[in-house]
Amino acid sequence: MLDALGEVKVGETIWAHWERHMERNGGGTAIVHWVTGEEPHRWSWGDLGSASLRYATKLAEVGVRSGDVCALIIRHHRDFYPLYMAVSRLGALPSVLAYPNSRLHPEKFRLGLAGMARRSGLNWILTERELESTVRPLLSGIGTAIRDVCFPFEWNTEGAAGVRLDHPQAKAEEPCLMQHSSGTTGLQKAVVLSHRAVLENVRRYGAAIHATPDDRVISWLPLYHDMGLIAAFYLPLTLGLPLVQLSPFEWVQAPVILLEAISREKGTLCWLPNFAYNLMADRTSDEDVEGVRLDSLRMLVNCSEPVRAESHDRFYKRFARLGLKRATLGASYAMAETTFAATQTVPGAEAGRLRLDREKAAEGMVRLVAPGTTGARVCVSSGRPISGCELRMLDDAGNELPEDRIGEIAIRSVSLFDGYRNNPEQTRAVLRDGWYLTGDYGFIWEGEYYVIGRKKDIIIVAGKNVYPEDVEDAINQVSGVLPGRVIAFGLEDSKSGTEQICVVLESELFSAPEPDQKSLRLRVREAGMTVDLTINRVYLAPPRWLIKSSAGKPSRSANRDRALAELQYDAGGMHDI
Amino acid sequence: MISERLRKVILTQLELDDFPLEESTLATTVPGWDSLSHARIISAVEAEYKIHFKTVEIIRLKNVGDLQALVDRKLS
Repeated sequence: MLDALGEVKVGETIWAHWERHMERNGGGTAIVHWVTGEEPHRWSWGDLGSASLRYATKLAEVGVRSGDVCALIIRHHRDFYPLYMAVSRLGALPSVLAYPNSRLHPEKFRLGLAGMARRSGLNWILTERELESTVRPLLSGIGTAIRDVCFPFEWNTEGAAGVRLDHPQAKAEEPCLMQHSSGTTGLQKAVVLSHRAVLENVRRYGAAIHATPDDRVISWLPLYHDMGLIAAFYLPLTLGLPLVQLSPFEWVQAPVILLEAISREKGTLCWLPNFAYNLMADRTSDEDVEGVRLDSLRMLVNCSEPVRAESHDRFYKRFARLGLKRATLGASYAMAETTFAATQTVPGAEAGRLRLDREKAAEGMVRLVAPGTTGARVCVSSGRPISGCELRMLDDAGNELPEDRIGEIAIRSVSLFDGYRNNPEQTRAVLRDGWYLTGDYGFIWEGEYYVIGRKKDIIIVAGKNVYPEDVEDAINQVSGVLPGRVIAFGLEDSKSGTEQICVVLESELFSAPEPDQKSLRLRVREAGMTVDLTINRVYLAPPRWLIKSSAGKPSRSANRDRALAELQYDAGGMHDI
Repeated sequence: MISERLRKVILTQLELDDFPLEESTLATTVPGWDSLSHARIISAVEAEYKIHFKTVEIIRLKNVGDLQALVDRKLS
């Protein structure tokens, strides 16, 4: 049904696929690099190919070799794409890392990077001059694998075009890229994917969304995230579909630019985390969208955060008059460990919904209730497994559960990762007999999968995974906080469509005058800023208030419940900002 | 100089009782002013002054002083 899908050959490398597009479709559009207020730069496949080879030649000259890991820490830049492809061309592994924003303390950023370098074996850092003073000290770190820090956009690549490169020797089973989870306390995990895994996922996912050569992908997503990297970068580039890439930084400041880009470029496919639906619906004025049309959209895929029915409704209500069709509102369940998608709703139909008895759901049972029932929990379908992918619900003992029960989701897939790089302990914890234990709770209903909660403590803020340990570590340094007596948790916020970060901390200042408490709360929020996190709520508690687990550490779930309960029933006992 | 009116709008959105806002203050140095609250602050400023910012104008803002200058320009 799709020429491009038929051209995906899982026994080849990614570069081989890109090279075919460069040779056969040299004049065709590969990437539209969008910068607000300027004419977008349009990369043809031919120009992208030439530029990639020039960068590959320079990278080879500085010493990058097949199998090396190249961290790319770069802001929205039109030469990012040929540089990324050049790394791949050499058989090296590109790993896109988030460019630090100015609130992240340089030392914290450096520590996070040092942790990644030590654990994952980063060999090269390709970045911008502005970060030099922050990253160069890593070169002299004990046991570092980093060989050099390079500033590729300062290179003169003009003369490099004629240098002949050996053909890449990489094989389909070999690694082609590395993705890192975020974090600052060494908890980051590196997922390495093979050419075969990426191509299997792209091919099968492309079929699930009925991709055709007429599709155009529009994305503001950062490429250090699996949704941005696989769905909105590898998928279009491998299938040969034009990609319009916006700056994530510009989008968060002016979300309307995504709608403008869809309208101007006739976009058909777009992936978004749930909070983006709320942000665009709430923060876009009629004046902003004058002349904007969304008729061209075929699918908007909600992914990376729990999918909320209310967010879809709000988005549709706001933009239906621009030609948005309800049937475009799809959803997917995806993660880096399965390359990307595990499930997908059917193209051309809105993601289905079920109303669950909330009390029964808390007991692990699926019982549907009639529309209008008070207290019902509305769950949005993430669709059916894509081909090559199986899902099961497991109980705590690892036994498979029937369709009407809620359990932990386990996945087996042809595009499953091989494990976290240099991290056998974490790998053993999540891989069992070829099944990946996701740590998410969900259920199956009439063949469709619903994701409704998390077993693990991770907090998801605007599509970004936040480890509570990172928050707690930062707060523990604050004067006035009793060391080790902090817990962090996420709290659903229906207004923003994502989670808020909350902390409960013990302090001797609990009974101190109000100005002292205010000052402590401000210090806590500022400490969160040093690790680039916004702490929305600070609960002060007296010493020895936190409930300990059997291991002697404060239990997050028990203290979360206690903090929320005591705020609700005894607001005088706790203080909320 | 940042007017008391603008300062109040920003701090109210961020639920801060007090925080020094200078012309050179960057959003990322103000507690709670992140990518999610930024759009909310911009909307609140537009509502307060009954003005409308263009997309490019918002994206080019570098600090609080730029925001104050933009508001002043719109009002003049």
